[in-house]
Amino acid sequence: MAAPSWRPTSAADSLESWPLVDRIGYRLAWATGGALCLVAGAIVLYMAVRGLQYLDLAQFTQHPTSDIDQSKSGGFFDPLLGTVLLTILGTLFAAPLGVATAIWLSEYGRPAGLARLVESGVEVVAGTPTIVMAIFGLLVFQQQFFGFLSLTAEGDAVLGRSFLVAATMMSLIALPLVVGATREALQSIPGHVREASYALGKTKAATIRRVLLPAARPGIGTGAALGMGRIAGDTAIVLILLGGTLQLEEANSFPLIGDLKGTGSTLTSYVYINSPAGEGNAPEKAYAAAFVLLMIVIALNFSIDRIARGRRPAWSV
Amino acid sequence: MGAAGRALARAGARLPGSAGRPRAGGQDAGGQEAEGRWSDARVERLLGAVACLVLLLIAGMVIFVFAKAWPSFAGNGFFGWFDAKGDTARQMEDIFNSPANPDAYEYELSAWSLLWGTAVITLGAVVIGLAFSLFAAIFIVEFAPARVNRVLEPVVRLLAAVPSVVYGLIGILVLVPFVADHFISPERKESVAFVVQLSGGSVLVAVAILTVMITPIMIAIVVDALRAVPRSWMEGAAALGVNRWRVMWTIAVRTARPAIIAAAVLASARALGEAIMLSMVSGSTYFAPNPIDGLTFFLEPTRPLGAAIVDNSEGLSVEPFGQTLYAFAAVLLVSSVALSLGGYIAKRPLRKYGVRP
Amino acid sequence: MNRTRLVTLLALSAALLSMATASAASAKTTISMSGSTSVAPLAERLAGAFVKEPAYRGKVGFRIFQGGSDIGITDVSRGRVSIGNSSRDPKPADPSGIVFNKIARDAVCVVTNTDNPLPNLSQNQIQDIFSGRIRSWNKVPGARVSGTIDLVVRTPASGTQDAFQNIFMGEDLRVAGSATTKSTNGLQANAIKSNPNAIGYASFNFTKGLHDVPYAGNLCNLRNAKAGTYGGARNFFMVTRGKASGATKAFIRFIRRSSKAKRITQTNWVPLRG
Repeated sequence: MAAPSWRPTSAADSLESWPLVDRIGYRLAWATGGALCLVAGAIVLYMAVRGLQYLDLAQFTQHPTSDIDQSKSGGFFDPLLGTVLLTILGTLFAAPLGVATAIWLSEYGRPAGLARLVESGVEVVAGTPTIVMAIFGLLVFQQQFFGFLSLTAEGDAVLGRSFLVAATMMSLIALPLVVGATREALQSIPGHVREASYALGKTKAATIRRVLLPAARPGIGTGAALGMGRIAGDTAIVLILLGGTLQLEEANSFPLIGDLKGTGSTLTSYVYINSPAGEGNAPEKAYAAAFVLLMIVIALNFSIDRIARGRRPAWSV
Repeated sequence: MGAAGRALARAGARLPGSAGRPRAGGQDAGGQEAEGRWSDARVERLLGAVACLVLLLIAGMVIFVFAKAWPSFAGNGFFGWFDAKGDTARQMEDIFNSPANPDAYEYELSAWSLLWGTAVITLGAVVIGLAFSLFAAIFIVEFAPARVNRVLEPVVRLLAAVPSVVYGLIGILVLVPFVADHFISPERKESVAFVVQLSGGSVLVAVAILTVMITPIMIAIVVDALRAVPRSWMEGAAALGVNRWRVMWTIAVRTARPAIIAAAVLASARALGEAIMLSMVSGSTYFAPNPIDGLTFFLEPTRPLGAAIVDNSEGLSVEPFGQTLYAFAAVLLVSSVALSLGGYIAKRPLRKYGVRP
Repeated sequence: MNRTRLVTLLALSAALLSMATASAASAKTTISMSGSTSVAPLAERLAGAFVKEPAYRGKVGFRIFQGGSDIGITDVSRGRVSIGNSSRDPKPADPSGIVFNKIARDAVCVVTNTDNPLPNLSQNQIQDIFSGRIRSWNKVPGARVSGTIDLVVRTPASGTQDAFQNIFMGEDLRVAGSATTKSTNGLQANAIKSNPNAIGYASFNFTKGLHDVPYAGNLCNLRNAKAGTYGGARNFFMVTRGKASGATKAFIRFIRRSSKAKRITQTNWVPLRG
C-alpha cells in the first residue's frame, strides 16, 4: 500500500521552508524517478526504431547461413525455433524439481536445519553466474556416462553440447524462480483450508495433491513464466553448451530425439554472433533479432501480470 | 481462497456417494488413500530427497570446478596466482602453447589484471546503483503521485527483464562508438600508447550499462523495506515538524539499512556473474586500469573474469588453458556463493517486517 | 490410477529405448571439424559441394566448429572431432599420432583501413610497426592518417597468427603487448574496418573492404601466391588422427582430386597442383 501522499497544508510545510540539503534531496529524488523512465524509454524506443527498420517479415521463415554477403545470409528461423525449444524444455525440467522443493520447504521442512540449508542452497543457485554453470555443464556432460544426451564423435569422445544438455543447465536458472513463486503461493493459502482437509480425514499428501496444488496453480504459472523469461534471455549457456551451429543440426535421423541431441542456436546467440563482438558483420540482423527477442520477453512479462491478476504484490522483479 | 475451497469441495465430495463403488488404487470405502502406497512419511522422504538434490548440485559444482582448477592454483602458489607480475596476455599465450606432454604443462599466471578489472567494474556499478536506487526508492514510496507509480512499476520490471545481450548490443553499437568519438582524443591515446590501446570499449561504458542492469533489483528490495517501516514512526516525526524528505532520510532509510545491505550484496552477486554484456563492451584487453592516469582511467579497457571465460571458451579443450579458465570460474563461484549466502543471511530477519525474501 | 501409471511407464520406456537405439542405429555419418577460422569458409563451401555428390547424398553430414588452428589440432588428437582444420604447418610441440593432409594454399595479407592505403611495406618496416618500435603513423612513409598506430592481431590459438609470426616477424621478435587481440579473422577484419588508424593481417578471403598492403613490392593476390612471388603464402591442412579413413578419407580425396572442389578453391585460395 502506498504511503499517504501528504500535501502541504500550510506555508510552513511548503518546499521553500526546507533546509537546502533537504531541497536538494527532494529534487534528486524526482530526478532519479525521471531518469529511470527516460532510460527505459530510450532503450525500448531505440530498439523499436532499429528493430523495425531492419526487421523483415521474411526473416521469420528463412534459415540462417554463414555467408559474408548479407543479402544471402538468411533470416532467423532456426534461432527462433531454438529459443522456443530451449525455453519450453528448460521450464519443463525445472518445474517438477522446483515445485517438489517448494512443497517440501513449505509443507514439511523437517529437520529445520536442513530446510534452511536447502533454502540457502536455492539462493546460491540463484546467484551463481550463468557462465560458471555453463562450463560446469561442459565438464559434467562430456563424460562418457552422459553420451546419450548429445553426439559422440568418431574418436569416441562425447561432444557434450546439445539442446538436452543446454536445457538441463537452463533449468537451474528457472529453478529458484519456480521455488520462490510456488512457496509464496502455498504460504498464502490460509491455514484453515489445510485444517479443514485434515478434518475431513485426508492425509497430508492427499491434501497437497488435491487441495493445495490446484490452488497454487497461478503461483506456479507465475514462477514458470518468470523462469521462461530468464531462460529466453540467457546467452552464456547457449554459447557454450548448444554447439554454435547456425542451423538446427540433428544428431541422428530420429524424429524428435535427433533434434534434441543435436546442436543449434537461439536468438540470443544469433544476436551475439551478428554483433561486432561475434563473427558476422551484420548489425542489421542483430537489431532485428534483438527486437524480436525483446518483444518475446516483454510479452512473457505481460502474461505474468495476467496470470497473477493482482495476487502478486506490486513490487517484485 | 476460492480455488482452494473449490478443490476442497471436489476432494471431499467423493465421500457421500462412494460407498458402494470399487475404487482403483487401493482406496477404501471412505475415499481416502490407503496408508502404504503414498503414505505421508514416504511422500515426505521423496520430496525431501528432491529438495536435497539442490544441495547436491551445488556441492557437485564446487567440487568439480575446484578439482579441475586445482593445477592452475597449485602451479602458481596461492598468492602467486593473485599478484601482478608479468604480462597476463603473454602468460595466457604461453599456457595455451604448452607442449603436449602433461609433465611440461605451463601454468604460470598472475591474474591481478582480471581481478582488478572485475573489482573496479563491480564496485563502481554497485555504488552508483545503490545511490541511484535509494533516491529512486524514496521517490516511489514518498513523492511520486499514484499515476506516476503506475508507470514506474512496469518500467522497473521491464528494465529487469531485458536480456543482457540486448544491453550489450546497444552498448557496443551505440555507447562504445560514442565514447570513442567524443572522449578519446589522439592526445589521450598517445599518453597511454606504450601500454594499451584506447578504443571505446572501456570501464566507463561497462559501469554505466551494468548499473542500469542491477538497479531494478535493488529498487525492488529497498521499496519493499521502506514500505514496511511502521507508519506511526514517520507520522510522529511529521507531527514534530520534520519535513517529508528528512523523515524519509533519517527514519525510513535508517530503519531499512539491513535491506539496503541485502540489496547491495545481491546486486554485487548479479554484477559479478555478468559475462556476456561485459565481454561486448569492456574492451577485451588484459589490462588493469590505472588510477594514476586520472580521467583516462575510465576510458581504459579491461577484461573481467566472466568476460575472460566467454572470450576464451574455445580454448577449453587445451588442457592447461582449460584449467586456467576453470580457475577463473572457481574465483567467481567462491565470490558469488559468499555473496549469495551473505544476502540470504541479511534478508532473513527482514521477513518479519513483511519484506518478501 | 493404475492405467495412467502404466501408460506413463510405457511412454517413458519408449522414450529411453528410442534414445538408446537411435544412438546406435543412425544411417548418417557425421564428419565434425573444428579449428582454423581461415580454413572454415573454404571447408564450408567444400562440405556443401560434397553432400551434393550423388555417391554421398543423404549419407554424410557435416558439423563445423571453429576456435583457431591449435584448437582443431588438440580436438582431433583427442578424438573429439573427425578433422582438425589448420592454417599453420606442424610444430614440434604438436601431439603425436596426427597426420597433416594439405588441401590448399592461402595468402596472408597485411591490411589497413581503406582510409590509409599504404603503398608498400618492407619486412623491416612490418617488424618495427608490429613490435611497437614505431608507434605513430607520422613515422611511416606513405601513411595517409596521423596519430597512434593501433595494432589488431589474433589470439594464440590462431594459425594465421602463427603464419604471420613465422613469415613476417621471424623467430625472436614478438608482437607488442599493447596490441588488441581478436579470436577470429572476421573479428579482426571488422576491427580494422572501423578504425582508420588500425593495421593487422588477414587471410586473403577476409580482405574485402580493407586495403591489402603490398609486401616487399609484391601485391598480395592469388596470382602472386600461386606463382610464389608473394612472400606471405602458407598452407591449409586438414588434420586427422592417424591416416584418414571412411567418410573422412573420401572427403579429403574429393578436395584433392575433384574438379568441382578445385573450382571452389580457386575463388579465394590457391588449389593444390595436379
